[in-house]
Amino acid sequence: MDVGLFAQYVMNGLMLGMMYALVAVGFTLFFGVLDVIKFSHGDVLTVGAFTALATYLGLSAAGVNSPVVQVLAIVIVAGCSMALLGALIARVLVLPLKNAPALNTLLITLMLGTVLRESVRLFYPEGANPKPFPSLLPSDALVLGNFNLRLDSVLMLAAGAAVIVGVQLLLNRTKLGLAIRAVAQDEETAKTMGINFTLVVLITFGIGSALAAIAGIMNGLYYNEINFGMGLLLGAIGFSAAIVGGLGNIYGAIIGGFLFAMLQTIGAVALPFASAYKDVFAFGAIILIMAWRPTGLIQEKISERV
Amino acid sequence: MSERGPANTAATVPHTRNPLPALAVAALATAFLITLLLVESQVGIAALIAGAAIATIAAARQGLLTRITAGLATREDLLGALCVAGVLVVTVFFHEDHFVLLMVATLILFVVATLGLNIQFGYTGLINFAGSSFLGVGSYTAAVLTMHTALPHLLVLLMGGVMAAAIGSLLLLPVLRTRGHYSAVVTIAFALLFKTFLEVNDILGGPQGLAVAGMDLFGWSFNDNIVIGDDFELSFYANYVLLSLAILVVAFIFVRRLDRSWIGLNLDAVRLDETAAACFGLNILRWKITAFTLGNFLIGVAGALYGMMLGFIAPANFTFGDSLILVSIVLLGGLGNAWGLVVATAIVVIIPEKLQAIQEYRFLLYASMVILILLFRPQGLIPRPLRTYFPGFRTR
Amino acid sequence: MSGDAAPLLTARCLSKLFGGVVALDSLDLDVFGDDILGLIGPNGSGKTTFFNVVTGIYPASEGEIRFDGRDITNLSTQAIYRSGIARTFQRSRLSLPLSIFDNIMIGNHKRLNHGLWFNLVRRRAFQAELEENVATARELVRIFDAPLSERLLDPVGGIPMIDRRRVEICRSLISKPRLLLLDEPSAGMTGEETRLLMDDILEVKSRFRDLTIIIVEHEMGVIERITNRCVVLNFGQKIAEGTYREVAADRQVQEAYLGME
Repeated sequence: MDVGLFAQYVMNGLMLGMMYALVAVGFTLFFGVLDVIKFSHGDVLTVGAFTALATYLGLSAAGVNSPVVQVLAIVIVAGCSMALLGALIARVLVLPLKNAPALNTLLITLMLGTVLRESVRLFYPEGANPKPFPSLLPSDALVLGNFNLRLDSVLMLAAGAAVIVGVQLLLNRTKLGLAIRAVAQDEETAKTMGINFTLVVLITFGIGSALAAIAGIMNGLYYNEINFGMGLLLGAIGFSAAIVGGLGNIYGAIIGGFLFAMLQTIGAVALPFASAYKDVFAFGAIILIMAWRPTGLIQEKISERV
Repeated sequence: MSERGPANTAATVPHTRNPLPALAVAALATAFLITLLLVESQVGIAALIAGAAIATIAAARQGLLTRITAGLATREDLLGALCVAGVLVVTVFFHEDHFVLLMVATLILFVVATLGLNIQFGYTGLINFAGSSFLGVGSYTAAVLTMHTALPHLLVLLMGGVMAAAIGSLLLLPVLRTRGHYSAVVTIAFALLFKTFLEVNDILGGPQGLAVAGMDLFGWSFNDNIVIGDDFELSFYANYVLLSLAILVVAFIFVRRLDRSWIGLNLDAVRLDETAAACFGLNILRWKITAFTLGNFLIGVAGALYGMMLGFIAPANFTFGDSLILVSIVLLGGLGNAWGLVVATAIVVIIPEKLQAIQEYRFLLYASMVILILLFRPQGLIPRPLRTYFPGFRTR
Repeated sequence: MSGDAAPLLTARCLSKLFGGVVALDSLDLDVFGDDILGLIGPNGSGKTTFFNVVTGIYPASEGEIRFDGRDITNLSTQAIYRSGIARTFQRSRLSLPLSIFDNIMIGNHKRLNHGLWFNLVRRRAFQAELEENVATARELVRIFDAPLSERLLDPVGGIPMIDRRRVEICRSLISKPRLLLLDEPSAGMTGEETRLLMDDILEVKSRFRDLTIIIVEHEMGVIERITNRCVVLNFGQKIAEGTYREVAADRQVQEAYLGME
């Protein structure tokens, strides 16, 4: 294979990995503070992408045509509204079931995911069909032999990296981050130290869900198409990535996301004739990874008290 | 259902012999079902459903419902017989109506499938979000075997179950190795994989699907109408109603006896506290494997006959959404309650078929319904009663 | 105390590490047949960890455990239960939605027939086994509390704490173990309830001649009343051994409890 084509694959893998990592970080944040798995996460991503699309259409209709304004607006609107949605989900569905069997939380969020997905399909105008997503970023390209280094890809990767670094700084350098880590460490102790547990949980769910919205927008900008089922695949992959990285561990989630993208890209290169089976392999890989390392590559702390 | 121990032993006391409550409930339910199936006007159907819901809630408020269920609990054999009779009455009543009989047979097969799910989820706490996929494994097995081999069709049904159990056992390693409820993600991934695989695989017909031959039982072809005498003709779907009913009776007795045995106790113990159970010698893996395999087998058998009845199957019949509906049925009926499943399946299968307006919204509606159930009534419509080993079991 | 007889349970150099935390530190411990051994020590001194390692919930990091002359180190929980060790849990781990009878039967696992054919088809035989077990369970519960033995089909979720503790001990005793591990049986009970439960345990001990008991307790009154020997742990190490009076008078023990280094 020549270098240009190889670089193209690497670029593609990096893009995928960034999206997976963003989703996985959300899963890992939720698990960190509440020890719950929120299965509606992927569908929050879908709703985020559709919110972004609607915002764009609204802006265009209002005559705002500057791509810079449009991009900023869709990120802010989708990010903030998904943050609100995430906090709402935590408040209404997840926290009330805190003392019920863990299975109930899993079921309720899974069913909520269905509600969100079906709502997009049924209530978004012609939501059942794939929707074109505008390319709002400059598509200038640096041509190096077979390799097109597109500016929009570079921008998106940079933005994704910035977001992840931002979350990392937030967790490690701010008072809020300290509170989140305290709650993740030990809820009871955090409470006795005067930390508002509910508020911290809501904020964490808000942050995680905003990340999902950003991943959804990246997906739309990169493929120029979104559909109501996109979150199902991205959610399942993001979840496995979080597990592989060891749930509750942010670095693990990021590594897991990129690892999954790498596997997928290698699969696509190695088996070009089987491109139709791309998603089959992705799901197969999830199952195999769960069989191979059920608690992740980075060992999760086992905290069952007997 | 036919399990009545020696009457005057220490463990059982002669229970109330009054069959009237059971008879009354069965007659009422059958009459309601026939009316519901007869009415065509959407407003009428909505009114009937609303009326039934209100009547049930009122009865529950009055404490009537618990009295009835307590009374029925000691007469399960009779209740079972009456249910079978009720289905037969409905079948004879609608003997020419393809649509109704197809719906009744579908309902029965879905009960069989959810009984399987109930062993996994209700008893053992092993959640399976790929129920519809295992139904699909059964159907596709039936399609391939009926079109390409001369295997007797009863064996085809069996093979549907065996294939579902076998493919399920491929998932066993990840399902059993994952701690807690992460195993759910394995079954979700499998459900998505299965449908995607069917769609891209040309040998299995791709998105268009496959034809399945109709059931043929020792020369009795199920796809011909039944003609009795000169002018009484039954829709060919009546054949499927009868056979599914027979399968259901066997499956139901099987699941009830399983529940009322040491094995049922083991499954409950695994669900309720794995660590404690292991400290008393329970082999957690053995019971999880048993539950997962038995459950998938039942689902696969139901799927095989379902495919033969539909005559044509496609990936769209076996989506993740359908799997979620199966899980909703188990939750709605009351986790672990086999009788509750019957009621819940009836609600979930019949209502969207009759109320065309909600057909398109059914995934949305059922998902919302499960959310409400989990928030406000996690024990389901008909909560599972305390475990017993025989009807009217007493310890003294 | 059976002075020169071989011990029923021995632990040699037993260690358990959780990451960097040393929960058990080369512990040597002997339990003789007929003992009621009190295992005491401050919070976090390794008492429950010792139970968890003996019953196979955690693998030992180092060392050896022998039971009745056989090496049982790192056997599965199932194998250890079959060899005759049963336990209760600090935080009651009964299956609340199940009846008293069902909970006790979970403890009787090794003596029940779990065959598919037996359970599903041979219902008469199953019923005979069931009735036999109902009778055994009733007899056992009656040692603790006669009225309770008439309510075997009540769900455990609906009975008071002391009865739950009784059911938990019955669940451990039904399989006739040689060694019973009681993990803080008085937790969550009033002084009066604790006294009643200790009466029950002494009654059990007098009925089951060759039963050996290890009890973890914080209530020193309980320890003084029912044990014939005590082992005191601190930071996973054995710091004293002897009768309650002896260990209570030990200076090291007093320091450990008062938190002095």
